[in-house]
Amino acid sequence: MSEYINALMICLQPINLLLIVAMVSLGIVFGAIPGLSATLGIALLLPVTFGLSTETSFVLLLAIWIGGVSGTFISAVLIGIPGSSSAIATCFDGFPMTKNGQAGKALGIGMTASFIGTVGSVALATVLSPVIADFALHLGPWEYFSLCFCAITLVASLSKGNIFKGIMAAGIGLLMGCIGMDPINGATRFTFGNVYLTAGISTVAQMLGMFAMCQIIRDSAKGEASMPDADVGKMKGLGVGIRDIVENIKTIVFAFASGVWIGFLPGMGSGISNMVAYGYAKSISKDPDSFGKGNPAGVWASEVANNASLGGALIPMMALGIPGDGITAMLIAGLTIHGLQAGPLFMTEQPNLAMLIFACVMVSAIVTYIIQIVTKRWFPYILKVPYHYLYTVILVICYIGGYGISNTMFNIYVMLALCFLAIFMSVAALPTSPLVLAFILSSKLERYFRQGISYAHGSYAEFFTRPLSAALLLISVACVVWPVYSEHKKKKAAAAAVPSVRSDVNDD
Amino acid sequence: MKMRRDTKTGIVGLIGCVFFFFASQSIKQPAKLLEPGPRLFPYVAIILIAMSSVALIIKGIKERAAEEKPYFPKGGILKISKSYLMLVIYAVAMNWLGFLITTPFATVAFIYDLKGNSKVKLVPSIAIAVLVTAGLYAMFVWGFQVKLPAGILFD
Repeated sequence: MSEYINALMICLQPINLLLIVAMVSLGIVFGAIPGLSATLGIALLLPVTFGLSTETSFVLLLAIWIGGVSGTFISAVLIGIPGSSSAIATCFDGFPMTKNGQAGKALGIGMTASFIGTVGSVALATVLSPVIADFALHLGPWEYFSLCFCAITLVASLSKGNIFKGIMAAGIGLLMGCIGMDPINGATRFTFGNVYLTAGISTVAQMLGMFAMCQIIRDSAKGEASMPDADVGKMKGLGVGIRDIVENIKTIVFAFASGVWIGFLPGMGSGISNMVAYGYAKSISKDPDSFGKGNPAGVWASEVANNASLGGALIPMMALGIPGDGITAMLIAGLTIHGLQAGPLFMTEQPNLAMLIFACVMVSAIVTYIIQIVTKRWFPYILKVPYHYLYTVILVICYIGGYGISNTMFNIYVMLALCFLAIFMSVAALPTSPLVLAFILSSKLERYFRQGISYAHGSYAEFFTRPLSAALLLISVACVVWPVYSEHKKKKAAAAAVPSVRSDVNDD
Repeated sequence: MKMRRDTKTGIVGLIGCVFFFFASQSIKQPAKLLEPGPRLFPYVAIILIAMSSVALIIKGIKERAAEEKPYFPKGGILKISKSYLMLVIYAVAMNWLGFLITTPFATVAFIYDLKGNSKVKLVPSIAIAVLVTAGLYAMFVWGFQVKLPAGILFD
């Protein structure tokens, strides 16, 4: 408790509070503009943190994260285009509310729901993470390997489209992670005589090249870098009262619980939780037909759930060192830049910094809510920022960031190469999340696997005989087999349906 | 017959696997290890990519009759190639001439490249380019103590 209060005090120091306000504001802008995202914001900020203290770095990264995730509802409500996949369900009723002249109320619900989801889930994460970390200290390399393996297979199997595309992306991530010195013997791999490559591929260069650069030139080539105008009408007051919360309490509670749980599972972040919660809100409504036409419950469900996933994702990141999605993978990369390893040891050896992370998320959520209340009337102007100026500045920052990694041009060239790879992956519809997760976890995965075999004197049996490890491996196998089996079943059912339809037609 | 994107992806994946398989032969494997050694994970990654590449090739062949929507709109491939080339030219120019000289030119070029259907005037663009260069230089070099390339010619 004392560590948490100390961490809160650090966050509330004037300079840190000022940084939180600035980064949350920037995050809201990044979240609000479709195409930009909290992920991109963190990727751009990572190089900035090289010269800063660990505390200040995390204040910056976490504040932009919270602002960015919360801001996604703005464009979903005002123009019907979600700022990211986490706000897709918000569009369903948020935009119709705007069309019905209730933009102020829809924005008020979005702000309040985001606040409830983030604050509640982070409070839960603050309490649960140390408990899970204590338990995790008793695990060996076998369980850790299985945990990392399970996280990668879950993300790969849940990727959009074909499971083989997810596996291929994970394979590319693993291969990229193999570049440089191996984590046990120090043997060099795939360096092709280049001394810069012995340290491996920089996570920052990877993020900047694959997310920022690729996204900018791809959107421009696809003609997606423009937006419709927002018609907002009156925007006075918060637009939401206690009565609105009480009326929707059942939806809020379910959305919160599902958001935290889905955020906790690797690969199933806010992009899924908002849809699940929306579906539930519709199913329990006395007037399900009103959904999609501007029912406030739809916005409550979606926004509480996607923000509750934040706290859910923090738990495995802090307690186990396993990132649940691309953003938490970047936050782990941020810790690595400062020589720290997320996981159970981090929680016990660096309790002050661990609590600073929780406290900073909490303070950022409160600051986000206050900023949103004050600036609500100006939200439509965020969406009028000309893309060509914004994107140009981001591109130049990418180069600065790439150079700043090692003060050489080498990482800029790596960034360009990875941008090319990301373009290829977009065209081929290969998902990037399994790649990022496999790349970040590759070193841990390999170290734990090889340590496990070493400790067992060359035996592989421990992976299958230790109960938790075996259970996690079983889940991983199920994750790969189930999508293939269900797809096969669907095709079989479709094939069986075709002749019967034909026979119906013939009968007629 | 036109090849589907999945088939092309699979072929590229297999070519990559062959390249990295031969490259992995140069990894030194220490003798008498209790564990599988440094070659194991590259092999695992290569096998994963190879397996999924074969699956994608088969999927592409099976679905070859189905219509496939082009990923980029008309002229999109040319546009992204041009944009990518500009990024490369900026990197090479920055290496030789440094950040301060190349960035204003690159900024104007990027603004025009990314403008899409928007109207952009040259004088405000130049003003923005100079301001962006000066602002970012001040922020990163003086504010965050991040070094920026001075250029080989001026080093």
